[in-house]
Amino acid sequence: MALLRPDLPPGPIYGVLAEYDSPHALYAACVRVREEGYTRWDAFSPFPIHGIDAAMGLRRSKIPWLVFACGMVGAAGAMLLQGWTSAVDYPLVISGKPFFSWPAFVPITFELGVLAAAAAAFFGMLACNQLPTLHHPVFYSRRFERATDDRFFVWIESWDPKFDATRTQAFLASLGAVHVELVGAERCPAERRP
Amino acid sequence: MSAPAFEDHLGDDPVDRRPPLILGARDFHTITEVVSAPLERKPSLGWWLCLLASLAMLSLLLVQTAWLFWEGIGIWGVNNPVGWGYAIVNFVFWIGIGHAGTLISAILYLFRQTWRTSINRSAEAMTIFAVMCALIFPGIHVGRVWVAYWMFPLPNQMGMWPNFRSPLLWDVFAVSVYGAVSLLFWYMGLLPDLATARDRARSSLRKRIYGFFALGWRGSARHWQHYETAYLLLAGLATPLVLSVHSIVSMDFAVSQLPGWHTTIFPPYFVAGAIYSGFAMVMTLMILMRSAFGFQRIVTRRHLENMAKIMLLTGSMVGYAYGMEFFISWYSANPFEQFTFLNRALGPYAWAYWTMVTCNVISPQLFWFKRCRTSVPVLFLISITTNIGMWFERFVIVVTSLHRDFLPSSWGYYAPTFWDVAALVGSFGLFFTMFCLFARFVPTVAMAELKAVQPEARPHAPEARVRVEIPLEPVGEAR
Amino acid sequence: MTEATSIPRVDALALWVRPGSFWSRLPWIGAGVGVMGLALALATGGGDSRFYFAWLVAYLFWLSLVWGALFFVLALFVSRAGWGVVVRRLSEHVMASVPVFALLFVPIWIGRHELFHWAEAEAVAHDPLLQAKTPYLNARFFLLRAVAYFVVWSWLGVWFRAQSARQDRTGDQAITRRLQRVAAPGLVAYALTVTFAGVDWMMSLEPHWYSTIFGVYVFAGAVVGFFAWVVLLVAALQAGGLLEDVVTSEHLHDLGKLLFGFTVFWAYIAFSQYFLIWYGNLPEETFWFLQRLEGSWKTASLWLAIGHFVLPFYFLMSRWVKRTKPLLCLGAAWLLAMHLLDVYWVVMPVHARGRFAPEAVDLGAWLAVGGFFLAAFGAWLRRGALIPVRDPRLPESLALENV
Repeated sequence: MALLRPDLPPGPIYGVLAEYDSPHALYAACVRVREEGYTRWDAFSPFPIHGIDAAMGLRRSKIPWLVFACGMVGAAGAMLLQGWTSAVDYPLVISGKPFFSWPAFVPITFELGVLAAAAAAFFGMLACNQLPTLHHPVFYSRRFERATDDRFFVWIESWDPKFDATRTQAFLASLGAVHVELVGAERCPAERRP
Repeated sequence: MSAPAFEDHLGDDPVDRRPPLILGARDFHTITEVVSAPLERKPSLGWWLCLLASLAMLSLLLVQTAWLFWEGIGIWGVNNPVGWGYAIVNFVFWIGIGHAGTLISAILYLFRQTWRTSINRSAEAMTIFAVMCALIFPGIHVGRVWVAYWMFPLPNQMGMWPNFRSPLLWDVFAVSVYGAVSLLFWYMGLLPDLATARDRARSSLRKRIYGFFALGWRGSARHWQHYETAYLLLAGLATPLVLSVHSIVSMDFAVSQLPGWHTTIFPPYFVAGAIYSGFAMVMTLMILMRSAFGFQRIVTRRHLENMAKIMLLTGSMVGYAYGMEFFISWYSANPFEQFTFLNRALGPYAWAYWTMVTCNVISPQLFWFKRCRTSVPVLFLISITTNIGMWFERFVIVVTSLHRDFLPSSWGYYAPTFWDVAALVGSFGLFFTMFCLFARFVPTVAMAELKAVQPEARPHAPEARVRVEIPLEPVGEAR
Repeated sequence: MTEATSIPRVDALALWVRPGSFWSRLPWIGAGVGVMGLALALATGGGDSRFYFAWLVAYLFWLSLVWGALFFVLALFVSRAGWGVVVRRLSEHVMASVPVFALLFVPIWIGRHELFHWAEAEAVAHDPLLQAKTPYLNARFFLLRAVAYFVVWSWLGVWFRAQSARQDRTGDQAITRRLQRVAAPGLVAYALTVTFAGVDWMMSLEPHWYSTIFGVYVFAGAVVGFFAWVVLLVAALQAGGLLEDVVTSEHLHDLGKLLFGFTVFWAYIAFSQYFLIWYGNLPEETFWFLQRLEGSWKTASLWLAIGHFVLPFYFLMSRWVKRTKPLLCLGAAWLLAMHLLDVYWVVMPVHARGRFAPEAVDLGAWLAVGGFFLAAFGAWLRRGALIPVRDPRLPESLALENV
């Protein structure tokens, strides 16, 4: 299932994972990794870090446009549904109101616009992030379990053009990493959480 | 409860810096440990007792509903002229409770109120459970549940569509959209914390279940970027949504021509009342939860004080609306309006009216005093009286406006039956059952958000931020 | 994103109005404009009841900026907000200008028989509804209430500004605490006075009509007008080299968000009022809207709906627009004009039935009240720094960054 398994590189080594102990160290490392010219890499943190997207050179998310478009389509669809059913398909006089009583249609128009926009925001976020992806090479690392607790990681993939197992490890270690490891397909079963 | 091992600092009220959001050790790992603890230890006896009591109340709801479907709504006390009774009162009450969750998660987020991170998860969960409770009543009160699909935009066997000019249909849309969006918002906020639960899980089953719901979240900076954008947009959408929902609920009444229902202030008045009642419920729940789970350093008394201030604000808005209704009924010189409002205050339901005014308008005035805002027993007591008062507010609006028909020969007095009360008690059973399960299986504090608003989470240490030298006098050319 | 957050460099010259500049001469310029406007209004409409209606529109428009400023300053203190400190002093100047409006109220008092149907003894004698309302709608109580409003507003406006200015000299943090304490009860007094002023000076123009939401409607419009005004004010001061690097695009972004938010809030309140009356369809309520849909007023109503909500909603939604000063100013200027239309739309149909046709006297009155208001505002502007230089939360405000 492609959904649950991302494209894995050939060979036994997936990449290098470096662990940092503070947001500041991660931020500084990201600036340097980017300057060094790596392209297939990522940073991980237990919470969003202010300004790190700029440090990594990420462009602004396109989700706002998607949300706006979906919201407008949802609202227009709701107005059309109400207008068509009340004035065209089965017109009925109700409390002396016109068939096309636009003020009375505003509440549902608004609600369905918001529903479509909110769904676009949520599912757009999942789509942009390629989630759900239940498996990923970084999960092979035991230490990575602290990426959702209090540790900060930089990950450089082995199929990055500039990747070199030895030099990349040394480079990340020089940026103040507390731990650097090569991540491969095999996970050592003895290495359980203490 | 043993004395907490940290300073409260409540008397300290600095204006030149921001007091810490949480107390004691504030490193990221401690936050994870404190919040995860209730999920990972065996549930206490107190939890089992709460759950059993809630389930008992929930069974009452099930029995009531079964009997209602069998016998019809004649088992309730509604009749002419009071055709709307407990069902709509409970519906409006529960929808209102939900509103505080969205206020905390969306509106306080837009206003950069970082203290919200200690309470937003529970408040959002409360919203979802309250909407569930609310949705029961329109579902069951129609009597003929097998045609409940008439509420959906589908033509029936005669090709007729639902009446889109009816406020009751707007309700269906408003409440279901509100429930859906609240669920999305809540679940999205949960993703990083479910990943934490996954990564801390010792047993394979826990790892799989939390792992499945965490969708493979791994905290990538690229993901956080889209996530934060989407979160901000959801907050921006939920803000007008929450205003619209109770406004639309208020239109069930306000589009009619009945004195006491037809008045233009209803939409904002209902929204303020909803947030007010919801905050009272959040207060009740947080006071219980912080002592049960030992969260006093995360949900501090400063948090409770802030909530008390919002209750004072929204309670005063509700008081303003009560006053405005009375003033305008007098100012309008319309005899029907004047009769309705005098009848509320002095008529057969005066006891309900004055319960409402005492609980909603008078009791929160104690929050003008810091001693009351920071005393946990006082806060708990007022949160309970506010819940009672806000239920009575809906009772007063629904029943007193109806029981005096335009024709005096049709006047009546509505009294609930056992089954009316059973439905109300039973809905509390559903609510607390859901909340007990939530508190046991889901991280009850938004860990990722709480970590992100700690000063240590900024990539640049505070001392790196330059303090600005401000000239205090005009120099040079000036003057 | 550079290594440290950007360092605001505060030029000493940018915090004080330079002697001899346009801003330091504002009191005289404002007074001049006011006198000329008054002359124009009297020349074109003097002795006519139209003059009083034009005056009331102008008066309510400019006074509503003061209402908005009062709300903003009180809300900043109540919520202990840090971000807005750099624009607080300008708001304090606006709200401290309120005493001049007590003076400008004189024409309204003189023209009460022309403006208010209930003030004509002849009309009351033949109208049982008006007779029933005399306990509230009578000239003496009307004046008494107006005096009470001005006492409350003037006290709040002048006292808050004075305390804040004192902190410039002493740097005493107790002043911030004191203002925080007073702001909450201040908001209560504010909500009641603005509501009843709205009832007295706008709703009672049509004494048969009533709407419980009207006070909120007045408030929402006033806040929109104020935020538009403060954006334009900042831009104008910056065009003169003041407040540069002090009020940044971050602050404009926040002001833009509030402008956007209150525009939507206004639309919500306005729609609620219209919608419930439309749906209930009771003749004693609908006539107020029918008047505003008669003849060319229908065009004005349409413009109000589109111009006060639809267009600014789409325009100000963009983050980029809110952070780009010329575009934000365009939106603010447009909304300020729409706020004027809103006030005009509430007041003028009572006089000019079925005929939406602004006249020279409207312009004259607008310039007159605006000129005198600017004169008072300019007098405050000269008397100290443009920001509260020793406010304990000023550093937080200067370092503001939107996430």
